[in-house]
Amino acid sequence: MATAAAGVAEAATVAPPRVVSRWNPANAVTASRYLTLPFLWWAVDHGYHQYATLFIIICGLLDKLDGLVAKIFNCRSAFGELFDAITDGICYGFGLILVAAYGWAPVVPVVCVLAMGLANTGLRFVYIKRAGRTVNFKSYAMERIVGFTGYLIGFATGPMEVTFFYWAFVPVMLVIVLHDTKRMLVDPVPGAGAAGVTGVNR
Amino acid sequence: MTLVSDGTFRLLLSVITGGVGGLWAIHDVVFIARLRGADRRDPLVADQRFGYVMGIVIGMIGVVGTLRFNGVL
Repeated sequence: MATAAAGVAEAATVAPPRVVSRWNPANAVTASRYLTLPFLWWAVDHGYHQYATLFIIICGLLDKLDGLVAKIFNCRSAFGELFDAITDGICYGFGLILVAAYGWAPVVPVVCVLAMGLANTGLRFVYIKRAGRTVNFKSYAMERIVGFTGYLIGFATGPMEVTFFYWAFVPVMLVIVLHDTKRMLVDPVPGAGAAGVTGVNR
Repeated sequence: MTLVSDGTFRLLLSVITGGVGGLWAIHDVVFIARLRGADRRDPLVADQRFGYVMGIVIGMIGVVGTLRFNGVL
């Protein structure tokens, strides 16, 4: 009995960090966001504004749901956060290109937003190299601007004050990207267990 | 092909944008107020403070855009 208790105590002290599989419910929800894109394209192509808005809302809601699922199933990981960020970029990038291509949104601010988004994504990989491990760069401001990006597509599909929202978005995103660029390239990288490092994955 | 009437759709857009934008701004005002007294040199605190300020700005843009959409501004 005492030996078993000692064994358990030893196992508890030397237990390796929890390993989270990439094949988990939260990442499945994140991946399911891609399924909304063909429907969004179909709605825009047919000029169905309300359906297009519905599909971009579903895409945005799934973005919120994956975090909730990760909490419920306790499957948060650095890979999951990175996959979520990349999915944000692809889904919203596709949506912005789509509405601009069909003339539902002004092209110049869309190009500015996409260029800044690509630059930020590239810098995230530079940050990973600096950190030497898979780590999602956490930025409170970027989380907010990503939410706004989803709305931008909705403003175009609405349509709702398209010119105002698109041009208001550009300077806000520029300030945030410049702020995050400094943090990713200049500021010291936090150690494991600090902000931005959320788990082990395989 | 539509899901709801134009009036309802307009109302939904206003609520989803103006309502959420307003709540978002209030949320970030509360959170930035909670950071009073925190160490400004702490990178995490600095990032939170900047993020909440940007959240307030974005929320206000949402509210202003909604008011313009409804002909108030």
